[in-house]
Amino acid sequence: MVKTFALRVENLEKYFPPAATGWRALLHPMMQLTVSALRGISFELEKGGVLAVVGANGAGKSTLLRILTTLLLPTGGHAQVCGFDVAAEPAKVRSQIGYHTGNDGCFYARLSGRENLNLFATLNNLSRAETSRRISELTDLFGLDPLLDQQVRTLSTGNIHRLGLARAMLHRPSVLLLDEPTRSLDPLAAAEFRRFLQQRIVGEHGTTVLFASHTLAEVEQLAGWVAVLDHGRLLGCDTPEKLRAASGGDTLEQSLENMTHRAAREEQ
Amino acid sequence: MTESSGTGSTLRKLAILFRRDLAIARSYRAAFVLELFYALFGAASFYFLSRFVDSPQLEKSLPQGTNYFSFVLVGLAFFDYLTVALHTFDESLQSVRQNGTLENLLVTQTSLSVILAGSSLYPFVLLSLRTVIYLGWGAALFGFPVSHANWLGALLVLAASVLAFSGLGILSASYLLVFKKGNPVNWAVIGVSSVVGGMMYPVSVLPRWLQFIARLIPVTYSLEGMRAALLGHASFLELWPSLAALLIFAVLLLPISFLVFSWALRRTKITGTLTHF
Repeated sequence: MVKTFALRVENLEKYFPPAATGWRALLHPMMQLTVSALRGISFELEKGGVLAVVGANGAGKSTLLRILTTLLLPTGGHAQVCGFDVAAEPAKVRSQIGYHTGNDGCFYARLSGRENLNLFATLNNLSRAETSRRISELTDLFGLDPLLDQQVRTLSTGNIHRLGLARAMLHRPSVLLLDEPTRSLDPLAAAEFRRFLQQRIVGEHGTTVLFASHTLAEVEQLAGWVAVLDHGRLLGCDTPEKLRAASGGDTLEQSLENMTHRAAREEQ
Repeated sequence: MTESSGTGSTLRKLAILFRRDLAIARSYRAAFVLELFYALFGAASFYFLSRFVDSPQLEKSLPQGTNYFSFVLVGLAFFDYLTVALHTFDESLQSVRQNGTLENLLVTQTSLSVILAGSSLYPFVLLSLRTVIYLGWGAALFGFPVSHANWLGALLVLAASVLAFSGLGILSASYLLVFKKGNPVNWAVIGVSSVVGGMMYPVSVLPRWLQFIARLIPVTYSLEGMRAALLGHASFLELWPSLAALLIFAVLLLPISFLVFSWALRRTKITGTLTHF
């Protein structure tokens, strides 16, 4: 059987210009791209799969997500979402993705949840009828109905996250890209969020999910595959069991340590 | 499931972006009302200023049949369109950067140009409301002559002005996109325009070389056309030179500004500074 890939990343590279301050900052946009953020990353993710991207701060997780969401242009290599190239066909890529970050300041705080969802649905080309149908469906799905007409600034962080996920799902994206989705949630809200993602988004809707996370328990609970990034390099991308077996660790945490230490030794 | 991204869809997007800004402004009720009252004070202060500076010599320099109050009221009210055009794109970009919605807006199926255009509607509509209050207040209490004005002509001059000024506004936003702060486009355009554009005094009182510079900027034609339509009762034929000049500015500036903006957007996606502020 031919596998269909939701995400295909080939030898992806991203370099940034060095940081500049003072008058040199005026030249920053024209500076050479010398600071590496991603170095030759390659992986594939089947439709309906869940891939976690893990690694220390600065490993390149957010850079990878931003390239896949077309917010950044790659310096080299290719990345495709549902067969569309992120650099050559960004509009088509955007029609396939939903994006949510763990940042809770990403709504118009003085508008209600419904007004925010209406706005983003329209910007995603949904018709009026489809907008109200989707808002109603997602409100049921996320249990947001009693809160939908309140200003976003009055909602709890957990509910803002639910609203963020609802927004990301408005146009029925094939791929959901989540950047540290439980970063600012308390442990109970984070557990509920994970359960919700696993049962409703992945289980019932079959959405492909790529998420970046620092929480390894979350990774083990949700992900079918794990990509380990370290200083912009991909150290491994496999199922959690195979990663553990290959790196000689009993736990995912131990495996990550082994892999990053080995990579550091090889780098020297 | 989804609409095609045609003209109808773009208009709906522009409308919802306008409604977003109106809803946010209305949520600050006191500021919303005070903004409109501000125009009442403005018209009164121009009237008393004009009484203070009015003189036969000044009267001679003004277009025939115009007093200084009417001249300066039109000048100040419509110069604001240039100011708003230059600030609105910058401010909407800064605002979505700061409230954290820029990334979420950019991953929708709407281009940043449409988002910025939609975000500029509310400031222009608010300014137009303020202008109507200026002129209405001026007419009701201070003798601003409105009975023979060519209103349709004035609206055409206004539309052409907004198009021409928006080109400058998009250039200004392009600078902000790349360099974040300290915008020399705004500084140069507003600075030069306020000195030579004929806002507070006629261009004819300037030295010859400044008059030449005045002919190179759109606000001069905008204010001349607006005064001719509102105060000089000019016909469409008489308004044509100002309208033609503004349309030439629009035809030149809009495509250039969109090209520069596309380049700036691409550059920030390369350098990774798109959401920085």
